Amino acid sequence: MSERTARRLTRILSMLPWVISHPEATVDEVCERFGYTRRELLADLDLVFVCGLPGYGPGDLMVAYTEGDRVVVEMADYFAAAPRLSPSEALALLAAAMSVQAAGDAPDALVSATEKLTRALLPGAESVLAVDIDPEPELVTRLRRAARDGKVVEITYTSLSREETTTRQVEPWSVFVDLGNWYLSAFCRMAGAERVFRIDRIRSLRETDETFQPPAEPPPPRVRYTPSEDDVRAVITLHPPARWVVDYYPVEVLSDDGDRLRIVFSAADPMVAARLLLRLGPHAVLEEGEEVAAALSDLRNRLLARYRA
Amino acid sequence: MSRPVERILNLLAFLLTAGRPVTADEIRHTVAGYDQQSDEAFRRTFERDKATLRRLGIPLEIRPVDRWSVEQGYVVPPDRYRMPDPDLNDEERAALWLAAQVVRIGGRPSGPDAVLKLGGARTTAGVEPLVVNLGEEPDRLGVLYEAAVDRRKVAFRYRGRDREVEPHGLGHSRGHWYLVGREDDEVRVFRVDRIENPNPVGPDNAFAPDPDLDVRAVVTAQPWEAGPEDEPTPVIVRFDPEVAWWASRRLGIDRQESPDGSLEVTLEVRHLEAFIGWVLSFGDQAEVVSPPEVRQAVVDRIRGVA
Repeated sequence: MSERTARRLTRILSMLPWVISHPEATVDEVCERFGYTRRELLADLDLVFVCGLPGYGPGDLMVAYTEGDRVVVEMADYFAAAPRLSPSEALALLAAAMSVQAAGDAPDALVSATEKLTRALLPGAESVLAVDIDPEPELVTRLRRAARDGKVVEITYTSLSREETTTRQVEPWSVFVDLGNWYLSAFCRMAGAERVFRIDRIRSLRETDETFQPPAEPPPPRVRYTPSEDDVRAVITLHPPARWVVDYYPVEVLSDDGDRLRIVFSAADPMVAARLLLRLGPHAVLEEGEEVAAALSDLRNRLLARYRA
Repeated sequence: MSRPVERILNLLAFLLTAGRPVTADEIRHTVAGYDQQSDEAFRRTFERDKATLRRLGIPLEIRPVDRWSVEQGYVVPPDRYRMPDPDLNDEERAALWLAAQVVRIGGRPSGPDAVLKLGGARTTAGVEPLVVNLGEEPDRLGVLYEAAVDRRKVAFRYRGRDREVEPHGLGHSRGHWYLVGREDDEVRVFRVDRIENPNPVGPDNAFAPDPDLDVRAVVTAQPWEAGPEDEPTPVIVRFDPEVAWWASRRLGIDRQESPDGSLEVTLEVRHLEAFIGWVLSFGDQAEVVSPPEVRQAVVDRIRGVA
């Protein structure tokens, strides 16, 4: 209930100042601007009409009604300004504006809105907030354009779970960012199914003239990983400095005592797990997984040969 | 359903116009909606309504009613209630609304309510199929953000230790939010998702802004750039042709490959352990060329000595 109450109050306290400062406001405009249906707006105006200052007589209550096409609010001067943004609202809105800009392709209006908002909300402290998204401006821009135009593209892709580079044709649906990485959601003609690609692993991109019909309802953009039956599995214990692994790789957590985190790491190629283990060094221990152990030993030998050690 | 909304509107109207701190008792007997409640019911309702007001961002302050400070009262100062007008036009509001739709924090769109407070948005434009997920719960970020804006210290628990930090800024990079602060006069970086129970402590303006502290530079630094060693060690790394494109992309550099397609770069390393881990993530397709002691450290790590 409190969530609904809070949202309704926010809308009322935002709508009243607008109507007070725009006496010509029409019902349609107020509805459009504040996301009301006509019925909801009338209900909120009725509610405002019975509220006001102590005494609660005719001279104390606010006046709010519609007259023909117009919205009328009177006797509500104390609500003539909208409440300030709460800290989490201000942070979320600024972060949203900054990340769309960091992603490239932001309209001029967003750039000027962000500047104005920063000046108003953070006077003298403009540098308090910084939002950085690893930019991949060129590939992202081209993929978004292809998705919008419904054009098939050819990508050369190095998979994260398989040390393998392939060139394939895909029908790009959408581009999104999840936890710091750019992804492309697309229909992959090589796999004959929907696939999600990490854009930083797309080595090169070629646009074609062929068009495709995008699905009426593309699946929501999110990172999915379904281990295949052919995947190599390894049970790994992570010590605290290596816990970040669960944020970056699709793993299954077996147990966590706050200190040691046991996971199942699946990958199409055991070398992916071997390189991760080498990277983690003393902070990770391979508990189970013969293929990964063999790959690790092989990688160690190759590296030592390379270093002539 | 409308009763709490009515009651809170009456409460807010009273607090904005009273011009003085008013006690809970006076509120109970003056504001419509609280009368005819038992002591206990009033206390519960009033607590809930105060929490709702604060959640909306309304500055509900507690001040002594008289100069002997015997009783405390509530006040909403009108000048703190309203926000400085950012003077947005409709096009700018629509742009903010769109950005708030496509950027998610804590799994939710990041602030359509905030756009209402700024005057709503007239928009018929479809939402761009771009979704940015910034992770993290907005409430915890809000606490840290407010403390940074007010220049108030924050206390929290981090990796099993209690900390008290001057928050200088928040930054998002590579999928995580970071708090950049000073503790014992050292610049420190904390992952926000590992900060437990952040609470502001002490007065506002407890520290001066630091013009030399660049939040963006701190949070976007490569893992080996920030570290224990004061003087960076220049390390030369060679990447094989198969991974040269990937390395240059991760490093954010223009590709300067040699004729055979490999890439050789010099990196300024302050955190050797983080650096070795990163180089080894390229498997045997990258090699530290110099200096010899860093090569040796890599070999020790491969052998499992270090």
